Amino acid sequence: MQEELQRIRRETLERMAGIVSEAELNSVQQEVFGKNGRLTTILRTMGQLSKERRAAMGAAVNEVKKELEVRLSEIRAALKQKAQEQRFAREALDVTEAADFALPRGALHPMTQTYRTIRDALIGMGFSMFDGPEIELDDNNFTLLNLPLDHPARDMQDTFYINDKVLLRTHTSPCEIRALQTIKPPFRLIMPGRVFRVDEVDATHYPIFMQIEGFVVDRNLSLANLKGTLDSFIHAVFGKDIKTRLRPSYFPFTEPSAELDMSCTICGGKGCRVCKGTGWIELLGCGVTNPHEIMNCGYDPKEWTGIAFGIGVDRVTSLKYGISDIRIEYENDARFLKQF
Amino acid sequence: MKLPKKWLCEYVDFCVSDEEFIERMMWRGFELASVERELPDVTGVITGKILDISQHPNADRLSVCQVDIGEKTVQILTNAKNVFVGAVVPVAYEGAKIGETLFSRATIRGVESCGMFCSGAEFNLTEDEYPGAESDGILILREDTPLGMDIADALEKDDIIFDFDLTPNRPDCNSIIGLCREAAAALGQIMKTPEISHYDGNGQGEVQVTVENPVLCPRYCGRVVKDIHIAPSPKWMQQRLRSAGMRPINNIVDITNYVLLEYGHPMHAFDLACISDSHIIVRNAVEGELVTTLDEKQHTMDGDMLLIADPTKGVGIAGVMGGLNSEITEDTKEVFLESAVFLGSNIRRTSRKLRQSTDAAARFIKGVEPVNAYLALERAVELIEQLGAGKVAGDIIDVCAADLNERAVLVDPVHINRLLNLQLSAEEMLSLLSTIHISGTLEGGGLRLNVPHFRTDIESGIEADWDIAEEVGRLYGFQNIAAELMKGETFQGSIPESFRNEDLVKDTLVGLGCLEMYNINFTSPATLKALQFADGDERLDAVRLLNPFGEEQSLMRTSLYSGMLESCQRNINRKTGHYRFMEVGNVHFDRGLTLPEERKLIGLAFFSENETFFTLKAAIIRLLEAFHIDKVRFVSGGSGVFQPGRKALVYSGDTLIGEFGQAHPNVLEYYSLNQPVYLAELRFDAISECKNAALSFKPLPRFPLVSRDLAVVVDENVEAQTLCDVIANAPVGTLVENIELFDVYRGPGLIPGKKSLAFSFTLRAEDHTLVEDEIRADFEIIIAELAKNGAPLRQ
Repeated sequence: MQEELQRIRRETLERMAGIVSEAELNSVQQEVFGKNGRLTTILRTMGQLSKERRAAMGAAVNEVKKELEVRLSEIRAALKQKAQEQRFAREALDVTEAADFALPRGALHPMTQTYRTIRDALIGMGFSMFDGPEIELDDNNFTLLNLPLDHPARDMQDTFYINDKVLLRTHTSPCEIRALQTIKPPFRLIMPGRVFRVDEVDATHYPIFMQIEGFVVDRNLSLANLKGTLDSFIHAVFGKDIKTRLRPSYFPFTEPSAELDMSCTICGGKGCRVCKGTGWIELLGCGVTNPHEIMNCGYDPKEWTGIAFGIGVDRVTSLKYGISDIRIEYENDARFLKQF
Repeated sequence: MKLPKKWLCEYVDFCVSDEEFIERMMWRGFELASVERELPDVTGVITGKILDISQHPNADRLSVCQVDIGEKTVQILTNAKNVFVGAVVPVAYEGAKIGETLFSRATIRGVESCGMFCSGAEFNLTEDEYPGAESDGILILREDTPLGMDIADALEKDDIIFDFDLTPNRPDCNSIIGLCREAAAALGQIMKTPEISHYDGNGQGEVQVTVENPVLCPRYCGRVVKDIHIAPSPKWMQQRLRSAGMRPINNIVDITNYVLLEYGHPMHAFDLACISDSHIIVRNAVEGELVTTLDEKQHTMDGDMLLIADPTKGVGIAGVMGGLNSEITEDTKEVFLESAVFLGSNIRRTSRKLRQSTDAAARFIKGVEPVNAYLALERAVELIEQLGAGKVAGDIIDVCAADLNERAVLVDPVHINRLLNLQLSAEEMLSLLSTIHISGTLEGGGLRLNVPHFRTDIESGIEADWDIAEEVGRLYGFQNIAAELMKGETFQGSIPESFRNEDLVKDTLVGLGCLEMYNINFTSPATLKALQFADGDERLDAVRLLNPFGEEQSLMRTSLYSGMLESCQRNINRKTGHYRFMEVGNVHFDRGLTLPEERKLIGLAFFSENETFFTLKAAIIRLLEAFHIDKVRFVSGGSGVFQPGRKALVYSGDTLIGEFGQAHPNVLEYYSLNQPVYLAELRFDAISECKNAALSFKPLPRFPLVSRDLAVVVDENVEAQTLCDVIANAPVGTLVENIELFDVYRGPGLIPGKKSLAFSFTLRAEDHTLVEDEIRADFEIIIAELAKNGAPLRQ
């Protein structure tokens, strides 16, 4: 019986060595371990043996069984791996072939992206948002902003009129009037929107552009707060290395008025074509709100101070991305839009 | 305003570098527009004396000159015929540059030349400036000209011209004296103010002046000058005028221009012989009165306009332009010089209405002031006498309703400090202000300031604190005010729902492959017509601009289609390869109210061989899904922009959300497009309104679903939606979760005029796994319902 066991072991291992398919493996498994398999048969005949011999024989059979089973699973694993390798080789791809797009890549207009960057920076500083119409009353666009009829500074902004009293807003500042008329101070607001000027189209002028007005009304505001607010938002938009300077200027709706320059984003302040050799780029107009404006809206300017600034989104976009001709921003050429 | 440095140096000790001066002016609110040398494009041209001239050995027309250029003698070839031995000439020696031309050493037919001689034309020199400048050939300089000298110095054209941008609040600086005042303060100097000699009249030539409207004309000064002798003005005056960008004409004109530059005050000279009764009347024009101005244009006046007249006729439009009938001519013997103040707002209105903008009008509009009117006249008279251009006759006539006293302004230093976040003492403020001629005293806690006459921008009313804060701020230096973040109450920054909805629209559409467009808001009547909006369509109610660029851009858009189609056309013509675009923008409708209705729209434009009506429909559905909008319905219909039968209206319940479809061939033709374009226009307000913001979690289904397909045959005109509704509403015991039309078949096997629609739908029970009997029963109910509605199963 012992001999028979060893023969089974030897012959089975020999057969296993030549297996190349799962089917062969299964048939060997059946032959040895199946219902009428050779090992099964031996186990079945062990009952005839004496108690002592039965124990010894049992141990021997189990040992062989275990050995063959291990071998069997090893071969099974090897076969599986080989089959997978063949499949992988068959299914291998040239990964450099063209990608298969279900949809083209969409993109936000760069001005929308700039607008969101500016907006997010200011929202983080506690600003909220406010909206006003593109077609406005002359009163809101000029008169209540301390620009009465026939004020010479009206000529600073050439205006499209609908009639004597109605016009296309030339800036987002009329939103200041609407805010003061509807919201109780203190508040911090940004007011984005499209504005219009009678400008013949050229590389730096377009009759429409987008502005973001910042407007804060609170007690005890000062020019220093304006400086701090603008610095911190410009660093958020253009990076920490940007230097700024606030220099005196004039707007009818602010006093003191200022213009904010930032160090040139192209040359870093050394002087180049974009900054006309000065190292500085004019970015926005701002100031402390003119007391007439606050009074015109029914508040005491000695109690409530405003600070305000107006940023041209088109201009910031041009500066940020180095666009030298503003017209391309309104052509909607896909090759332009996809760059952002 | 151009400020020639030489002129500035006459009044102020220029003690710093040009760069430092420019920077100091910038910090005071005077931004440099440009700085130019008087001879802007000439460098390295020097003077030289011709020592010897010989014939070029190999070229008949060329002479070889030996030229002493100061430190050495060089050889120059020339073909000019007017040169001679001993002549001093400008030499563009090698390395010199005129405009874009760079001069270098050259060998011509075997003889070397170290540069070239120059003509007067190369320095834009006129005959008056330098005799011989406009004659043919080389400019011959004065014999005593030093050699090796820069040509700019030799021609006394070596000035530097600073050009500053002025802000509208500082009309006083639109003059040499005004700007020098600021420059002196910037340089920390005391300005040497020029003194004017007064000339007494001889009692003859009196003119009577009547000002009927002192509001529009607060001061009118005038004086008669006799024995007019018209001649060129002296060289120094011509030089000054030129350096400030003006052309010399004759002594009288040059004097008024010179005074205009110096004091910033416009004057006018009438031929006294043409003034009836020697009586000037400043009055409102009579409605319809005609005046012909010096430029020979005839103007029809209205009653709001101010006229300079004599008892019989108008002789000039006040502050705008003199009349042709009283023009100075060669025969003029006596002039009446006018130096007046006219109200800026009135001049602005007149100038705009008559479309007559002059330098004088621009100055009156920005504001001139009464003290200067008198000073300018005195200065002009002084110059006339000094230059021998005439003799003063009458005394100064001065009709003045204006207050000539220095304005007293009361301000609160505490408030000024608060506006600037500074802690200056009142004395420190006074010391700063004194540099710009504002003096003052402490009065209680406040400051009583005396504001000089020329600072018309500083008010005495409520604005005073802010006006003075602006002055103190710029004198102290904005750069010296430390930046500080806002303090006080903390604010919750937030983006309101409407703005976030716009973000969601754009982000969703970008995810669907769209590029965002920004199109202009203007359109034209022709375009609205081409878009075929039907009579009564609100998109014909466009707002019209009063002053458009042209008819092409005369209306505010009522739809996004026109701009989008133009941009599509551009992309197609340029073969940019992209085919999905969107825009979110406002349109306006004229509703007969003061302000038009403004509406935000979402526009879509798809075009490529892979796009169809249904790919656009899919994008719209995805967009509405992003807003969780339910009860979405598509109904055949839409505007004339679309091809009939290929357009639909989108609803959520009863709310119209928008329309979409395939552009009408006529519309495509208008834009010269020969491929299909699919367009949509959706209302942003409707989408925001229908947005389901109150989302709540529904537990996931616990039991499996069962899918079933079926195909029915219906008449061609039956809409798929009808059958979907039948299936959805069938009285079955289970939930019909999802119905999808997956195939439409027309052709063999079907009767013509019929189509087969194949639906796939899923069934599910909430509380158990469906068993086959239930499914079969429900399926049969659905089939029966379809059959009842004229949609039998396809056999």
